[in-house]
Amino acid sequence: MNAKWLVTAVAGAALVAGCATKKGFEQPGFAFGCPIGEGKVGSMGDLVKAKTAMEGRRTTIQPTEMRCSKTGDLLKIDANLNNDSSSVKRVAYKFRWIDREGMRAAEEESWKPLMLYNNSNLMISTVAPSAKAVDFQLILMSQE
Amino acid sequence: MKKTLLLIAAAALTAGCAHEKTSYGDARGVETVTNQFGSTDLQQIAEAMARSMQTASAISSGNLPIVTVQEVKNKTSEYIDTRAITDSIRSELQKGGKVRFAVDAPGMTQQTEEIKRQQSEYYAKESAVEKGQMVGAQYRMEGNITSIVKEVKNTKDVYYKFNLQLWNIRNGLLEWSDEKEIRKTTTR
Repeated sequence: MNAKWLVTAVAGAALVAGCATKKGFEQPGFAFGCPIGEGKVGSMGDLVKAKTAMEGRRTTIQPTEMRCSKTGDLLKIDANLNNDSSSVKRVAYKFRWIDREGMRAAEEESWKPLMLYNNSNLMISTVAPSAKAVDFQLILMSQE
Repeated sequence: MKKTLLLIAAAALTAGCAHEKTSYGDARGVETVTNQFGSTDLQQIAEAMARSMQTASAISSGNLPIVTVQEVKNKTSEYIDTRAITDSIRSELQKGGKVRFAVDAPGMTQQTEEIKRQQSEYYAKESAVEKGQMVGAQYRMEGNITSIVKEVKNTKDVYYKFNLQLWNIRNGLLEWSDEKEIRKTTTR
């Protein structure tokens, strides 16, 4: 009886530990691999909202997914842009890089023009200009 | 006849009075004045190439490899200052802090002239640089830009392809290569 109890307890503990590991997969201060500081990000939607800004003419193009990883000591970002309208859309984008102190980590990037077919997705990828750039913001502007 | 002359005079006066307006713009904005190679193309290419090259294992290994910039051949039908592209790539890489650059072929004359000048009798021997202290590059960067232009009555389509390569000088191996494509279409 005691042995059975012990086995059950060990199995239970392992299960809890397993779950805990899965829950703790994300480092504190990161969501989907992207730095979020002390902000609360509970979903992909929250992350996209926190990391995206519009400047100039507004566009209906929206990022739907954003994931980050490290390549060496450089931050790598993949962002999926979605055009859910029935017409071709043109936008320009750039990334703004921020250092550990919250200051600009690099000079302002150039605007990069893009064309998105109707009802389509386009993945944009970039790598931080230097290891100093530990955070970012994706800026979008309509080119219509 | 008199009326025509008056009209011409009025038109000339109007043209003369039409005042010019100059304003500063965003140097990093999207430029679509014509579909010839422009500032947006140059900036996009330089940024894409520098960012990609920084992730190459030869560069990211952390031992500050020394690179020399060689020619980017312009294989397009238009005039493109390819030196401006490689200068921008070099600046971007330099800011990334992962690469050092050795003096390249066009800068060699100035470099040797300066060494010779410092070795003249006008300079104190202890502060003058010595000959034979320059460091050779481990890698050389070269590339080319090509274009395909198609034109029909009201439409002109230009496709640019920029290819950049990083060669290991010692063993002749290609360490990294990447491309950037740009398409621009103008319709009247």
